[in-house]
Amino acid sequence: MFAQLLRESILRRKSRFAMGVASVLIGAAVVTALFTVSLGIGDQIGQEFTKYGADLMLQPQSNTIQIGLPGVNIGSVTEQKYINESDLWMIKTIPHRANVLGFAPFLYQVVTVNNGSDTQQVVLAGTYFNKTIQILQPASPQDPSTFTTGIADISSWWNVKGSWITNQNDTTSAMVGSNVAQKLNLTVGDSFTVSYAGAQNASTPTQNVTSATNVKQLKVIGIVETGGAEDNQIFVNLSVAQDLSSRPGKVDTVQVSALCVHCPVQDMASEIQGKIPGIQATTITQLTSAEMNTLDTYQSMMAFVTAVALLASMMGIFTTMTANVVERRREIGLMKSIGAQNRSIASLFLTEAAMTGWIGGVGGFVVGIILAQFIGLRVFSTTISMRWGVLAVAIPIAVGVSLLASALPVRRAMGVEPAIVLRGE
Amino acid sequence: MNTALISVDKVTKVYPGGTRALDEVTLSFEEGEWTTIMGPSGSGKTTLLNIVGCLDLPTSGTVRIAGNEIGGVGQAALTRLRRENVGLIFQQYHLVPYLTALENVMLAQYYHGSLDGRKAVAALQNVGLEHRLDHRPAHLSGGEQQRVCIARALVNEPAILLADEPTGNLDQMNGNVVLHLIQRLHEEGRAIVLVTHNPDISGLGDRTIRIVDGSVTQDYYHGGDKNGG
Repeated sequence: MFAQLLRESILRRKSRFAMGVASVLIGAAVVTALFTVSLGIGDQIGQEFTKYGADLMLQPQSNTIQIGLPGVNIGSVTEQKYINESDLWMIKTIPHRANVLGFAPFLYQVVTVNNGSDTQQVVLAGTYFNKTIQILQPASPQDPSTFTTGIADISSWWNVKGSWITNQNDTTSAMVGSNVAQKLNLTVGDSFTVSYAGAQNASTPTQNVTSATNVKQLKVIGIVETGGAEDNQIFVNLSVAQDLSSRPGKVDTVQVSALCVHCPVQDMASEIQGKIPGIQATTITQLTSAEMNTLDTYQSMMAFVTAVALLASMMGIFTTMTANVVERRREIGLMKSIGAQNRSIASLFLTEAAMTGWIGGVGGFVVGIILAQFIGLRVFSTTISMRWGVLAVAIPIAVGVSLLASALPVRRAMGVEPAIVLRGE
Repeated sequence: MNTALISVDKVTKVYPGGTRALDEVTLSFEEGEWTTIMGPSGSGKTTLLNIVGCLDLPTSGTVRIAGNEIGGVGQAALTRLRRENVGLIFQQYHLVPYLTALENVMLAQYYHGSLDGRKAVAALQNVGLEHRLDHRPAHLSGGEQQRVCIARALVNEPAILLADEPTGNLDQMNGNVVLHLIQRLHEEGRAIVLVTHNPDISGLGDRTIRIVDGSVTQDYYHGGDKNGG
């Protein structure tokens, strides 16, 4: 009987029900579109910001000792220290680990490059390009046990002619900065030799023997152009640089790319310092602040538009439900006069409101996804991937808004006196 | 000896705005008794029926239905008392337009918590509408609609039937059909309280109460005067 009353109530007022659904649909569509765009573009903005470099720089803490006589300072000696590569997995175990988008270690050394005719002193940097590391002790059982990261992630904006190094075990490929390539007349596919200057100095001229680990034959697979220091460097896998300079497992610096919308990046720096002993983490404040502010502003605007859209939906539902109650006043009075309790009346109207919300929510989700694509293409010039998680938000919001907007009309229905049927009102 | 199904004691009803619809009315309605309430328009007849039928609460005074005083109970309890003790017959029938005759009767069962299709069919058979079960109100005559209304009032077997001008919207022929039906229900032992303007109808009952300006001016049994008049 309840289902029949509900069905007839809807079917007899199809246009009004449709108006209610349309009200919710519009609100749900805006919610879906803005949530989808917000999440999609939010990620994208974060990714875009990572193009501009790292947010955190990790360096080993070094001890500097002043030397000289009492009252006569003749200089200082700084102990060369390194970060252990084996500690890097800990970066993904800090409390704000979800905000760590990626990181790349660097081991720098000055090498002599020889391509047959030309010889140059060049900075060679060993790094991760796309390396999968093991997280030995994940902070949470839900966390993955591996993390793939590298310079290809945090510096994806590099203009590369040729290709990136993709194999983390590749010991023969190199990416060469555009200035280096120009000076040494190197192009993609060319081979060249690098030798570590420190090793040459260590060997005696009489021996005239160079260790295999101090000389490397490399092949250019990509030429890097960034407009920055990278143009003057050569990039190889970290293990190649470590072998070349006989510094296995050592790293000079680590660049960490963080998306930090709701957390101060300074906290992440402190957390990393707390996790990895002997490390000094420095934030690149201006960049991360701008990133956070832009995302915050964007999401505040989204929240405001969403609130206005939902308010409009609520007003639409309120109007249709109020009209519904007023029109059915005598019917409500009759139902009460023949024994309907207030909860029966309320459940009839609230179920109708919930159905209105549900149908409007599903319809709004579909329309919202289309709208999100439109906004993505027209405003951000990009497609935005559909997120099913938004459905789990949009429908409860649509149903909730519908029920909330129906509260006053339902209260009014519950207030109808059964006596009106005898008074003939 | 008859037992009071419903008793009202010094009941006064004042509507917002100050209209005194009932003024210290004291009455009782007995089992198996047909009481007709008469009076001019605005005299308080319908207000009395509303209070007796638990559709409204008095401003002062006490009302007892089947031994339960309704003054202190909440809306939910009042609704429960109404659906368990009272069957209502309306001048305008008040059928739900989108339900069939059978469904209209079953609606009362639904709110009573006792859905029983066969019993609902029997109630419609009892009023001679077994051939109209699946008809909606728009496809029934006024007399038939009123008979559906009576079947709905009867289906939960209330102790008392309250009828407000049950023939007021009917032509004479249909009015007579309805009155004969009410008479038959009375003969079967049903207590009836019927409000009417028609003095001919009052003669069909056991007792007539006349109300003027919210006060009972006459209350008599057709076998003999009770309070005067």
